[in-house]
Amino acid sequence: MWITVVNIGWAVSALLVAWMVYDWFRIDSTYSEATLTSSREGEIEAASEKHKL
Amino acid sequence: MAKAAQASSSAVQRVSLLRVLGPAHVWALGVGIVLVGEYTGWNFAADKGGTLAALIICWVIGLLYTSVAMIDSEVTSTVAAAGGQYAQAKHIVGPLMAFNVALYLVFAYTMLEVSNAILIADTIKAYAGEGFTDWHYRGVIATVIVVLAALNYRGVLMTLNVNFVITAIAYLAIIVLFFSVQPWSQGAVLKLGEMVTPENALPYGWIGVIAAFHWGIWYYLGIEGTTQAAEEVRSPARSLPYGTMAGMITLLIGASLTWYICASLMPWQYLGFTYYPLLDAGKLTGSAALETMMFVATILAALASANGCINDAARAWFSLGRDRYLPQWFSAVHPRYRTPYRSILFLLPIALAFAFIANLGQAITFSILSGILQYTFMSINIIKFRQKWPLGTIRRGYTHPFHPLPAIVLFILCVVTYFAIFLGYGAQLTAMVVFYIVMSLWFHFYRYRYVRRGDQFTMPWPKPNGY
Amino acid sequence: MAKYTPPEQSKAMQWVDIIFVVAAIFFALWFPLWMGWAGVSRAIEKIDNPTWEALGQTPAQVEQWVKLGFADAAAAHDIIQNKFDYHIDWMQLIILAIVIIGYFVFLFQASDKEYREVIDEKFNGK
Repeated sequence: MWITVVNIGWAVSALLVAWMVYDWFRIDSTYSEATLTSSREGEIEAASEKHKL
Repeated sequence: MAKAAQASSSAVQRVSLLRVLGPAHVWALGVGIVLVGEYTGWNFAADKGGTLAALIICWVIGLLYTSVAMIDSEVTSTVAAAGGQYAQAKHIVGPLMAFNVALYLVFAYTMLEVSNAILIADTIKAYAGEGFTDWHYRGVIATVIVVLAALNYRGVLMTLNVNFVITAIAYLAIIVLFFSVQPWSQGAVLKLGEMVTPENALPYGWIGVIAAFHWGIWYYLGIEGTTQAAEEVRSPARSLPYGTMAGMITLLIGASLTWYICASLMPWQYLGFTYYPLLDAGKLTGSAALETMMFVATILAALASANGCINDAARAWFSLGRDRYLPQWFSAVHPRYRTPYRSILFLLPIALAFAFIANLGQAITFSILSGILQYTFMSINIIKFRQKWPLGTIRRGYTHPFHPLPAIVLFILCVVTYFAIFLGYGAQLTAMVVFYIVMSLWFHFYRYRYVRRGDQFTMPWPKPNGY
Repeated sequence: MAKYTPPEQSKAMQWVDIIFVVAAIFFALWFPLWMGWAGVSRAIEKIDNPTWEALGQTPAQVEQWVKLGFADAAAAHDIIQNKFDYHIDWMQLIILAIVIIGYFVFLFQASDKEYREVIDEKFNGK
């Protein structure tokens, strides 16, 4: 039984890798680099949690 | 036309990680990573010092980690950013320390992920029987690592929901096993008095207890990973301390039960040798149902751990890119799934390569070493945190009691653990520290020139005392 | 204090940096293996024609060994007699202590130097 499971596992892995690589290229070509790397540390705190004592 | 409009609107559009997690996810992330340590790893403490040593260090190292959890909760409830201890180090100690901490995190979690994949493959191999070749062995490893990476790629909420379910099942399995072996009547199934005798309780004496500190770390290693989720938790100041402390209590109970079951069923030499003490315990009860349950639970625990490790390592790597400590390319967030997708993809082949080629003992030892370097940092970090921003100067979500006692306890236990690793693994420890020295020199004298100075400090805090 | 503007790094150099980091990680993992350091300091203390008694196992313990699939004492011999060697090599311990302490001293001092620049630019530059 395990032999079959593992063979399916290989196939699923290959499919998932293909999907991730496809999605990666699609996203990278659809959006600008500036948008993709626009996340900034701490910006949510600065906006939503006013720092008061 | 439509494409141009999209391009111009996306120039101002910002993408960040998604705030969707609650305290249960924090618990699932912390306990999920660690629980596999109950299923394998802690028992090597018995190898180094005997069964009684494994119990002593279960509680002493429990104290170390309670200090870690308390200290970490205070700092992280204040510095709530992805990268966890990395962001803490950057705000409190300085950039080079932060770079090292991020490397500890990536190392500790990637090596732990690798160990988990190998453990699952070994467990299945032990039960698969004839015809299970290297191809199948590697297939298990590849499936585990790739499927979990895809899950992480697809979104953090689903990832940690899955982790919550499988961690809970693996934990319940320990409880079920505990009650099935009739812990209230010694001698029926459990034979603690006959397995652990005065002659064999501490076969190497007290030096063995010290040496066992090394593997005692494995009972709890990774609970501090809860802070990696800081940027994705809805209310970090509340959820992180709560989830981490609940996780620590869960683990202390789980570790004690695990020791009691295994110590009562196996001679210490076997306990220190086996890769799956709880699965063997299930086997020794003579019940096929219990054995099957522990087989499934071992795999689930390892899956939960690998899953959490991918999550944490990717976030640490992502944070490094965001501050340009590494190329900024890594700091991309997936616009739809809101995950650090490039970091996840980058770490995937590295984990696969190690899992295919590396040696399990080596991977685990590197993980433990990176962990202990990080705890040493944490003990000094909290002292500096209280000096630079004394209580009352900034808002803390949680303030840990008895300061500086936990920091001192943590520091002393770290020193003892270095000595414990030295007993048996001295050369590896030295090689590892040399690696971090080389990386530090590279960062300080070369890479740091690409980093924007003032931008690294992102918390809305006043100027630190003494600067 | 003037704001520090970092140089732009070319795409090619970014790749060089990534490759350096990955190579360093792989090297750190394999170097101890090549040098034969990965082995643990322990050895099997051989007993010829072992019996369960000679290996120090009580009847209750033997029962568990058998359930675990070790039919006789010879099968369990290598596991039971594989003993750690805890004598302390002081020279190695001193080298290790110097390396670790030196590492942390450098780490905190260099970090503090960089940290002062960060704080200067963030708070004093205004």
